[in-house]
Amino acid sequence: MRLVQGNEAVVLGALAGGCNFYAGYPITPATEIMEQMARVLPARGGVFIQMEDELAALGAVIGAAWGGMRAMTATSGPGFSLMQEHIGYAAMTQTPCVIVDSQRVGPSTGQPTMPAQGDVMQARWGSHGDRPAIVVTASSVKDAYQMTQLSFEWADTYRLPVIVLLDAVLSHMRENVELPPAPPPFSRTLSPDVDVEKPFGNHPFVPFAETTRTIVTGLAHDETGATRGTVGHASEKIIRDAFNRLNHDYAAITQYREYRLEDAAWAVVSYGITARAARAAVDILRGEGMRVGLLELISLWPFPEPTVQSLARQVQGILMPELNLGQLILPLRAAVEGICPVAGLGRADGELFTPEEIANAMTSHSTHAERRVSHHA
Amino acid sequence: MHEVFQKPDPLRIRLSGRGGQGIILSGVIIAQAAMNGGQFVVHTQSYGPEARLGASKSEVVISQREIAFPEVVLADILLCLSLDAFHKYGTQVASHGLSVVDDLVPIERPREGQIVLPLRRTARELGNELTANIVGIGTVIALAEIVEIAHVRQAIKEWVKPEFHMINLQAFDRGLQLGGRFRVSA
Repeated sequence: MRLVQGNEAVVLGALAGGCNFYAGYPITPATEIMEQMARVLPARGGVFIQMEDELAALGAVIGAAWGGMRAMTATSGPGFSLMQEHIGYAAMTQTPCVIVDSQRVGPSTGQPTMPAQGDVMQARWGSHGDRPAIVVTASSVKDAYQMTQLSFEWADTYRLPVIVLLDAVLSHMRENVELPPAPPPFSRTLSPDVDVEKPFGNHPFVPFAETTRTIVTGLAHDETGATRGTVGHASEKIIRDAFNRLNHDYAAITQYREYRLEDAAWAVVSYGITARAARAAVDILRGEGMRVGLLELISLWPFPEPTVQSLARQVQGILMPELNLGQLILPLRAAVEGICPVAGLGRADGELFTPEEIANAMTSHSTHAERRVSHHA
Repeated sequence: MHEVFQKPDPLRIRLSGRGGQGIILSGVIIAQAAMNGGQFVVHTQSYGPEARLGASKSEVVISQREIAFPEVVLADILLCLSLDAFHKYGTQVASHGLSVVDDLVPIERPREGQIVLPLRRTARELGNELTANIVGIGTVIALAEIVEIAHVRQAIKEWVKPEFHMINLQAFDRGLQLGGRFRVSA
């Protein structure tokens, strides 16, 4: 058992996921990830580079992945905004990599040391064009470890940038956890010196070897990488297939946690650090006799529509508290429209919701929802 | 004289002062000590955008069970090393809570449950004002027995650089003595 900080758990989870390359630019509240990578990676035969900015950092990560490394970077909102260009490039070039964004209050420089959940839509939609995305979050130090580790696996399997969203509180929070020792370093394996005929589309990711002539480009291309001629249809097919792979494995990718939902008539749907207050709020309300439970979303994208829909059919109303002024509530509302009423609770002042605030909002939502129902009846 | 503190579960501790006073380290030491005693702990920290002299706060929640909400709203124990921190958190204390405030913080007459002690002055006597945080931990533990003394000594050795072990262990002992004087024998 050790007292481990959230950012440290990210580093340990990354090592467990085979990370051997880190490029980044320091920023509060993600800096400890970079500091510890600088210490630990070279000692394990890995590579650490401080780049001139976040754009370059993700560029280096993408290049490293094509060089056969398991690569990641970490940042916060301002740096994450800069990375959007290369997130699109990683998606278009089907490059496996992991990006950790420890969210702080925005827009712009905002409140560097204070927590937020204002990047949940940017993580999905920040880059132009269509791309499937896996975005996960964490509410505990242990989650931060496990989700980072899992992100490396998914990045490889689905050939895309996987985004891990933390926040300023979780990044700096310490909890007692039992973590397995770091596995031996993952070493770079060069591919055999053969030309890969089809390096893109539904084909496995093959990093460069000495004679590889794969063309990696952000231009629309077919599965051979060719950009000439009419590739529009072929390029769309690659993107559609990428969506289909996530749809096919939807159940395995979708991660959530249920708390006291068995007999619940009301539900809080929450994610990240806010789910900790929501859990305490559920206990307060249960103590007052209200049948309420918590659905904690751990993977945010693909948005778990079937999961929230089946919950909506069970309960009379849903409350979604989040540390922004209403973001993930949009896909939630769209998913459960006509099934049950959804209320939001948002803030962007850099403070966490207290359990009491969530409990009060839930009580008020249930009162209003009940009144609406009786009015129509 | 202060009544013997009744320890609630979860126990919520808030340490506050200015950046540079070791507020975050003292929270980590208490959390580590509680963990060494087999309890669940969560430690959170918060500070201004400036690294030094800005507001600094460190919170520890200790429980026999897994902890849901990681932060502290009303503290059962408050340690306060600066005036800004006192203004901000002085009243954010649970009824029957205990506050230890440094005597260089100019406050008017202490309220019930507020104990004013020479934390920074004691640390200066030891030759290093930066140990005021550890003197503070000592006083709080003497007054409230929130964690085992041996576990704190072990935690200090785990988190403080070896060259500063001695002075911090001395600061802890001085804090225990200071706090002990204000404690009613049970």
